[in-house]
Amino acid sequence: MNHFTNQQPNINLLVSKLRIKVRPKLRQMRYIDGPEMRLKKLRETVTALIKFERIELVYPRADEARGYAERLISEAIRHGDTHKPTMDTVSFWLNEKSLVHKLFKVLVPRYENHQSAYTSLFKAPLMYPRTHRACSVLELKGNPFPPLVFDGSRNKNFIHNVLLDEARKEFKKIQQAEIVAKVSSSEKQNTDSPTNVKKTSNEALSKAAVDVSEGEQLLKSSTVNDEDLDSTLKIQSKTDPVIA
Amino acid sequence: MTRQNILTTSQRSVRLSLNNLKIIMEAIKSTFKLYNRNHRGRSCSTQSQDGKVVENPKAARIKLQNDLFNAERLRQEKNVGRIEKITVQYKGQPKDLDLVMNKNLSTPYNCAQHMFEMLVRRSALALVDGEKLWDMHRPLEDNCELQLLHFQDDNPAPVNKAFWRTCSLMLGAVVSSAFKDTIEVILHSFPRPNVRSGSFVYDVEIPSLSSWTPSEKELRVLSAEMVKLSSKNYPLERLAVDEEIASRIFQHNKYKLEQIPAMVEQSPDKSVILYRIGEHIDISRGPVVGNVNFLGRCTITAAHKLKHDSKNFYRFQGVSLPKGIMLNHFAYSVLESRAQKLNKGLLPWQYEDVFQPELQSIEATS
Repeated sequence: MNHFTNQQPNINLLVSKLRIKVRPKLRQMRYIDGPEMRLKKLRETVTALIKFERIELVYPRADEARGYAERLISEAIRHGDTHKPTMDTVSFWLNEKSLVHKLFKVLVPRYENHQSAYTSLFKAPLMYPRTHRACSVLELKGNPFPPLVFDGSRNKNFIHNVLLDEARKEFKKIQQAEIVAKVSSSEKQNTDSPTNVKKTSNEALSKAAVDVSEGEQLLKSSTVNDEDLDSTLKIQSKTDPVIA
Repeated sequence: MTRQNILTTSQRSVRLSLNNLKIIMEAIKSTFKLYNRNHRGRSCSTQSQDGKVVENPKAARIKLQNDLFNAERLRQEKNVGRIEKITVQYKGQPKDLDLVMNKNLSTPYNCAQHMFEMLVRRSALALVDGEKLWDMHRPLEDNCELQLLHFQDDNPAPVNKAFWRTCSLMLGAVVSSAFKDTIEVILHSFPRPNVRSGSFVYDVEIPSLSSWTPSEKELRVLSAEMVKLSSKNYPLERLAVDEEIASRIFQHNKYKLEQIPAMVEQSPDKSVILYRIGEHIDISRGPVVGNVNFLGRCTITAAHKLKHDSKNFYRFQGVSLPKGIMLNHFAYSVLESRAQKLNKGLLPWQYEDVFQPELQSIEATS
């Protein structure tokens, strides 16, 4: 415990800490009506995010609105719907009354035990010739839509998962065979107590693991031997006159 | 701004139309090149220093093969005759569509081109009427329902298998061109593709090399050649031909000649299916993926000498991943080290049941 604890309040208990990195400066969003218009637009974006759960828009506005949405959700989780200041904030940021219910009945239970940020922001490709401005996709996590980024671990039938699965099976088979061989040989040598056998099998297991890791190292460290120019392939390398 | 840079509107329009003309000419040239692809690059004869013309037998063979292939394809296209329309019902992402296509001419690839660029790029294989696996470049024969498959489908097993087969075909192409002209390479075949075995295979006879173990560097060259081939973006052209043409195309390869009658006997319409990658032509039952550029990361891991009394058979094998599937380098090295072990697929002299027609349906993932 550090000595500040008694004198200084823990700021995290007073204000929700955002789980995203916030750029300290305002984004470049210029509107003819000034800051008021800006706030209006941000409210529209936050409302749309809570309503549709995934929206596509220009990057600066998404980036800025994201912070407000995060804060809104975390306040709702902290204080619940009986806290007057929170309810004021919520009714300021959400333009539709029904979304207030969605926030407390749907999103708060969804994110109650959530460990990371509640939203995710992706850069989207430019839509030529519609716009030259950077596009983005802002979404609430845990939304019902199909995922935007490829998740390789989603399906065990993806080709790399099939290959890795088989490699693991083969590795285990080799390991077991080695253990069996070790145990049977040690049993022949000394017919001692069963604890001894167990110990040797453990040793064999660790030995097998070490052997395999050594094999990996050999594979990686094996370098090209440049003296070995007696090649039969036609390699397109200039340093190598022997090869056609 | 100098005077030269200022153009009147009329000059500008002239220049624009000239530019358009240039673009059109380029397009014509490129299509022309496409049709004359087989005469590009490799020349059949070279002039030696004495001025004598030296024939390159390998190049002449390849030219002959491609001429036969082109002639047959042209003949088949002409045979279509009056163009009839078929309705293709596309089912799948982003939305279901009905397309009116040409019978015996339009391919699933053409259908994708009519719909979305995303489908053109990612579709590796087609599924016709929910049961028949169909190559992307094989003309559709009747009204049908079409689905386009890709590597990140919910059930990617058929695409994975087709990819493994494509890798074997590409390996054959690479091995037949990578050796020096003095070393004769006779392609034999490859066992049924099995992703679970951990490696794709091609069996090759090299009569002049009795005890060759490839060095690390040589294997790396082969891997690089695979990647170079994939960067050429060749489509895998499919052509079903009769026995006579197939045996003329493979007249220089005794093993393929042996295999052709068995394939004809066991195929439902008494034909042999040829695939062409660039200039390389090979036999396979298919299906294969639509383009060589689906190959992403690739390593040729070993070339094992097979134990045979009289012939020098080598089993080339490797491992690869399709483009878009990323894997941590350590995990990939595990796959590589597994692929170095001799693949347990059938050996070249064990083919009794290999050329059975494969059930062209999605196999349940076991």
